[in-house]
Amino acid sequence: MKPPTFDYVRPASVAEAIDALAAHPDSKVLAGGQSLIPMMNMRLARPTALVDIGRLDELAGIEANGSLRVGATARQSTVLENEQVGRRWPLITAALVHVGHPATRARGTFGGSIAHGEPASELPAVMLACDARFLLRGGSGEREVAADDFFVGHYTTVLADDELLVQVEVPDPAGSAWGFGEIVRRHGDYALAGAAVRLAVDGDGTVEEARVALFGVSGRPIRATAAEEHLLGTRLGDERAAAEAGRAALSGTEVTDDSFVSATYRHDAAAAVVERALLEAALRRRGTN
Amino acid sequence: MTLESTATDPAATSAASSATTPQQPRPARYVGRPVQRVEDPRLLSGQGRYIDDVALPGMLHAAFVRSPHAHARIVGIDATEALAVEGVVAVYTGKDLDWLAPMVSAGPMREGVLAQSRSPLAVEVARHVGDPVAVVLARSPYLAEDGRDLVDVEWEPLTPVLDPFAALHPDSPLVDEALGTNNISHLEQSAGDVDTAFAEADHVTRIRFHSGRSTAAPIECRGVVAEYEDRAGGRFNVYSSTQMPHLLRMLIAPVLGVSQGQLSVKAPDVGGAFGLKCTVFPEDIVVPAVARMSGRPVKWIEDRWEDLAAGVHSKDMHCSMEIAATADGTMTAFRGHFVTDSGAYSSIPFTPLVDSQVAGVYLSSCYGVQNVAYSIDNPLTNKCQIGAVRGVGWVPGQLAREVAIDQLARSLGKDPVELRLQNMIGPEVYTTPFGQTYDGGSYAAALEKARDAVDYPAFRQRQAQARADGRYLGVGFSPFVEPTGWGTASAAAGGLPNGFFDTASVTVEPDGSVTVTTGLHSHGQGHETTLAQVTADELGVAMDSVRIVFGDTDSSVFGMGTYASRSAVLGFGSIQESAVQVRDRLVRLAAAMLEADDADIELVDGVAAVKGVPGKTVPLQQIALFGYFGGPARPEDVQRDGLTATSGYNPGETYANGCAAAVVEVDVRTGLVSIEQLAAVEDCGVVLNPIIVKGQVAGALANGIGVALLEDLAYEDNGEFVSGSLMHYLYPSTTEVPDLTLHSIETPSAVSVGGVKGVGEAGTISAPAAIVNAVMDALSPFGIVIEKTPMTPEYIRGLVRAAEAAATGPARS
Repeated sequence: MKPPTFDYVRPASVAEAIDALAAHPDSKVLAGGQSLIPMMNMRLARPTALVDIGRLDELAGIEANGSLRVGATARQSTVLENEQVGRRWPLITAALVHVGHPATRARGTFGGSIAHGEPASELPAVMLACDARFLLRGGSGEREVAADDFFVGHYTTVLADDELLVQVEVPDPAGSAWGFGEIVRRHGDYALAGAAVRLAVDGDGTVEEARVALFGVSGRPIRATAAEEHLLGTRLGDERAAAEAGRAALSGTEVTDDSFVSATYRHDAAAAVVERALLEAALRRRGTN
Repeated sequence: MTLESTATDPAATSAASSATTPQQPRPARYVGRPVQRVEDPRLLSGQGRYIDDVALPGMLHAAFVRSPHAHARIVGIDATEALAVEGVVAVYTGKDLDWLAPMVSAGPMREGVLAQSRSPLAVEVARHVGDPVAVVLARSPYLAEDGRDLVDVEWEPLTPVLDPFAALHPDSPLVDEALGTNNISHLEQSAGDVDTAFAEADHVTRIRFHSGRSTAAPIECRGVVAEYEDRAGGRFNVYSSTQMPHLLRMLIAPVLGVSQGQLSVKAPDVGGAFGLKCTVFPEDIVVPAVARMSGRPVKWIEDRWEDLAAGVHSKDMHCSMEIAATADGTMTAFRGHFVTDSGAYSSIPFTPLVDSQVAGVYLSSCYGVQNVAYSIDNPLTNKCQIGAVRGVGWVPGQLAREVAIDQLARSLGKDPVELRLQNMIGPEVYTTPFGQTYDGGSYAAALEKARDAVDYPAFRQRQAQARADGRYLGVGFSPFVEPTGWGTASAAAGGLPNGFFDTASVTVEPDGSVTVTTGLHSHGQGHETTLAQVTADELGVAMDSVRIVFGDTDSSVFGMGTYASRSAVLGFGSIQESAVQVRDRLVRLAAAMLEADDADIELVDGVAAVKGVPGKTVPLQQIALFGYFGGPARPEDVQRDGLTATSGYNPGETYANGCAAAVVEVDVRTGLVSIEQLAAVEDCGVVLNPIIVKGQVAGALANGIGVALLEDLAYEDNGEFVSGSLMHYLYPSTTEVPDLTLHSIETPSAVSVGGVKGVGEAGTISAPAAIVNAVMDALSPFGIVIEKTPMTPEYIRGLVRAAEAAATGPARS
């Protein structure tokens, strides 16, 4: 439970951080450290250097003018407690409650949870459901990547070695219905299956746009496109449509099948969480109207 | 959390109690009161001193090289690269430690248990993932792990033995060739006429149940720091996170080739143990051995992977259980077969029989069944050893019996509570078919109280309504008897006959403060509080003048340590035996000082007074000073013995009892079980301190939730261990433990000093069966039979899926 030797760099700016990443091959960005440090202690991760961006205030901001812009190192607890986020992006707040525990959220960062690329964690899937865009900055400049294009596989994203996730931008979801659910053995654990859904509906309650994102079921967070197609044109809260969307959620997906949880179970669990998240979205909408 | 207490009339516990209770009138100013734990301010403010806080000058740090294989021959070990690391000082293998005597698990002093020898570091064959084969010493723990990663072990993998039933087959590969068999013990015991009872039964219920593999996982893992002083023939000082300093000394000194007088064991604050730390581990030997070889003090702090892979595992038992019953529901016979998947080594000192044997021998529990038989097998397998962990084999035994009783109730169409009450023993002293003599208990009353706590009739209505809405609620009950106060008599009654007793030494110092030393050990139990309460009452002094000293073989009297819910009973008894003698001297000294009769002296809160004479008093401080320095005016025995007395206690059999009741909801879509209510009724005799009893019961219940739903140490089919972190080995946290409903009944023990019984394991024994029964009750519309713990969501969902498929015929595609 002691890490191997590594260098530690604490840059004074994002530019310096990018230089440091470029200068140290096989380095890792250290933000909240709630996943990385245990992995290093268990010697499952052996970076040669840590580039600590935890004190870069320029990355810690939260702005909510139109869209939501969260700096990569804003603490999860800070975002969770943000009143604007809670009111206008309640899906994010609802999901953050399930990200670890108060102690880990106090250190863990919003961007870190995304850039880490853990397929069973909540925020990456929420970003898919929210159609978020990520601002990346690296040696070759700045680029914007849609959440849909960001996650590659287990702990793997499109981030280049010398690239930093600097900001997450989430569009205003005004008027959309949302739901969230996960199956966990214990509160705060990684999900065996989880769903974040966001639905745009017209005045009659007909679904015009559906984003159904799943986590914990595959090698990366995924969009359940078959479920989304099922939902288009159905009425929000239609129980049969919700059940069908649940059943379709994992069609065409390579479902994780490991020592702890079989693919069969994940199929059943995903169907249940998707169906329930959809019905919850409808219930909540009725409650607020 | 609610706590309600009912005291039963001691007279109701039979005439035998008054004949055998060595009680005397005693002003109970502290015992029974909710005194705040005196150790908490120190522990909660970070002033605890744990094993990792021990630092000795020049100390090196150890890291163990461990087998990644379940079973493999060690072809060679090359430490060249490790030794090349700057800061790595030495690497020792099993061959380097050939000067040590073997560690021998002799087991309980009974026939039919094979002794097993092992070397602390495997020399030729590693027998489970995590088996230590070499140790690296370095200037820092970081460097030690760097060195560990570079020790090159050449392995020749062997066929692992993983299935306990296959291990029993004569053609099975052997885990330990030297034994010539994998089964270290097959035992059978029978009382009454079991075969006839089954032959004549109107109804027979048969179940199989696999109690899963769990462990203690204390927050503080293990750790050993050792130094060797090269003087007076050599001396070891061993600091160890242990529950039993004296027994550890007794068991490691011969392996290290020294007398017990040449070895001290010091246990600092211990951050949780739950039975895991009453085992003797290879590291307990290796660390002092390499301290001697390197000439430097050595520290080893276990990491979580090591703790989970190579500490002790527990409760992995395959049970089959049969009940014979008459048509009216009278249970006439129990028959059980208990196979403990024992792991690669017979643990020292308790052996895997601490699970299998006790599952069998206490099988009749609180039921008046007179025909009882069991058999046990203890096959070695290429997994971590099985040792004593809270609840031990009582947990699987309870699961097998109580799940079977619920099955019987369903088969007969009887209410499970009524069926149990119909078959339960009375509250009086009772001797079981296997000869355990219970010291009185509230067996039926506890079940009735648990039933009331969950509002049973109202629950059945609610359950029916919920089912109509497609929701599945269930309730389960689990009345239990817990053998406590492990002494010679109770150990013999449990089929593990060894001598167990304890001593305490009580000293009133010259200024009247009181020092008690004991060989019992506290690692969360709060002995500094409860034993001070007992001492203060017995001496008639203020509690804050009492200090309880333990944990160091150099400063405490010999004792057997703390496990098996023994310390309340043994501590009370041994302290009382000593304190009575000291009090008698204090009274006579005071009488002399106050020129009064001995019989007229009252000693309360550290002041001696003469009955009926207001103002005629002398404080303890003056009595003590007089006792030490009062010259020839003092009684002769005081001139000779001062104000110290040391006595032992070896109690008769004491048995706590109680009942857990669980109300659950099962989500049939996902297999998740949520515990709506968990109620427990505890009867541990006279309660020393209700705060501490409540803590013990609550903690044990949480542990029971883990056993029922979460905790599982899993091996792959090739023997690879996959539960090596707390991400994979799940135990309940605050979010998985509901607000507990705790009730208490006090049936004073008919035999123990003070009427106390132990309380350490109750909830762990009772809760799992209550939860399993509740889940099965919830799923009864599906006809589902639960056959194992933990009940993972996948397991439950799989059962529901199979039941649904069976109900709808072949799956439509």
